[in-house]
Amino acid sequence: MQGQAVVAGVGESTYYTRGKSPDSEFQLTCTAIRNAVEDAGLDLAEVDGFVSYMDSRNDPLRLAHALGVKELRWSTTCWPGGGNNAAAAVQLADAGVTGGYANYVVAFRGLAQGQFGRFGQPRGLGNRVHGEMAWRGTYGLLSPAQECALHTARFMHDHGISQEALCDITLACYANAQRNPRAIRYGRPLTREEYHESRWIVEPFHLFDCCPENDGAAAIIVTTPERARDLDQTAVPILACAQGLGPKYGFHAFQERWLGGTFYRNVGEAIWQRAGVKPADIDVLQLYENFTGPVMMTLCEMGFCEPGEVEAFVADGALEGPDAKLPFNTSGGNIGEAYIHGFELVTEAVRQVRGDSTCQIADVDLSLVVAGPGYAPGSSVLFCRG
Amino acid sequence: MARYLGDDWLLPALDAANESWFTAGKITVQSCDECGVFQHPPEEVCGGCQGTNLSVKDCSGGGTVESVAVVHHPVHPGLSEHCPYAIVVVSIDDAPGVNAIGNVLNHPPHEIAIGQRVRAVFEEVRDPDSGGMLRIPQWEIAAEV
Repeated sequence: MQGQAVVAGVGESTYYTRGKSPDSEFQLTCTAIRNAVEDAGLDLAEVDGFVSYMDSRNDPLRLAHALGVKELRWSTTCWPGGGNNAAAAVQLADAGVTGGYANYVVAFRGLAQGQFGRFGQPRGLGNRVHGEMAWRGTYGLLSPAQECALHTARFMHDHGISQEALCDITLACYANAQRNPRAIRYGRPLTREEYHESRWIVEPFHLFDCCPENDGAAAIIVTTPERARDLDQTAVPILACAQGLGPKYGFHAFQERWLGGTFYRNVGEAIWQRAGVKPADIDVLQLYENFTGPVMMTLCEMGFCEPGEVEAFVADGALEGPDAKLPFNTSGGNIGEAYIHGFELVTEAVRQVRGDSTCQIADVDLSLVVAGPGYAPGSSVLFCRG
Repeated sequence: MARYLGDDWLLPALDAANESWFTAGKITVQSCDECGVFQHPPEEVCGGCQGTNLSVKDCSGGGTVESVAVVHHPVHPGLSEHCPYAIVVVSIDDAPGVNAIGNVLNHPPHEIAIGQRVRAVFEEVRDPDSGGMLRIPQWEIAAEV
């Protein structure tokens, strides 16, 4: 199997608890990009493209000047949204390189919520709620956790799923983070009892069903296979990428057509068709946990199991460690490693193909990333062995 | 009648799309004059036939709880005295495919269940900007048939 563009390097900053970074968001982002360039063995000045997502504040022109790049040939961002575009950013980098528009494109995400405030928190509402928010804020529906809880509650009701399924997803992330010294939860294991005793945020989500808020940055270098041959790292081909239609956002997502799902069925169909593989062929999966419920629904929508089977599918450590039935979020993911809006899942998926994960799966041929569920357009990227 | 989330809670800013919902004192949903499709929230173009002749239709005020989530963590300081509270998704009778967000009044949050029948009630609040009356749709558990 061979993709048309490859990942030639990965890098990240140190990851911090929200507000604890001594560096600014821009400094964290520059550090992650420099580390990815160094990992690749590339001359920093040769970088000529930047892609990000989620209304990135880290402007490509500012980055280009700070990093001393010689030319900027490709600067793109995905349509505004959230972590749903983490894999779409890789797709745009792939498009820039495969189309011949640029030679070395950086895809990245950097955030310092201590500096800029918390993503997903309602801000500046005043005493009136406007536009789309009027339809839900009036009724106290304000946060992504609450939105995802409504979808999850319906799914659990329809398919007879207990709280243990959500707990098992969290425990897998925490267990894998114990192997990863980069992880914020490294050295801080979680038990099933501690999970159940933790406070409710919004039922059915306990505190530990929700990804934490962090500061940090992660980046990859995308180039052609030919250019990668002159660099230092094992090149990791991008076998396929996909985006998919979903509801516009927020209130639109609760209409009958969309209720109780995460809008990933079509993303799955697209990526399996483009890659010519099926869910059972995947060796290791990184699946964005904004909250555990959407992970459970997305496993079903992507075709890994049926809704009636999902509680058993994730039970008994089936997602934990290098010998898992379905190796999952092997760096600890958003919940255990750091919430870099899913881009830490991209760097981990690449590492799994290279063979240098802290929770390495044997003989990885296919390494899948599924970006933020429950918000559209969803996106996914599949890496393969070169 | 005190509002579910307190009389100081955020009010909707009226616009062309939501004015009927928040002032009519009955459940109204946009429908296409050409093809009859219901859509919510209202749009300027019909998603069914791309027509632009759209109007609001009166519904009976009945509904069914399609999902419920009980909020414990206040994400807004104005809610800190009002947790836990329940948010519901309600399907609207007479408007196929249309769901609304709301609250169920006069009922403990943990006793609200998917599948329960509800009927519309309205929180009347004077709009501090326009001086007109807002009639915010809410729900009560319908009596057993």
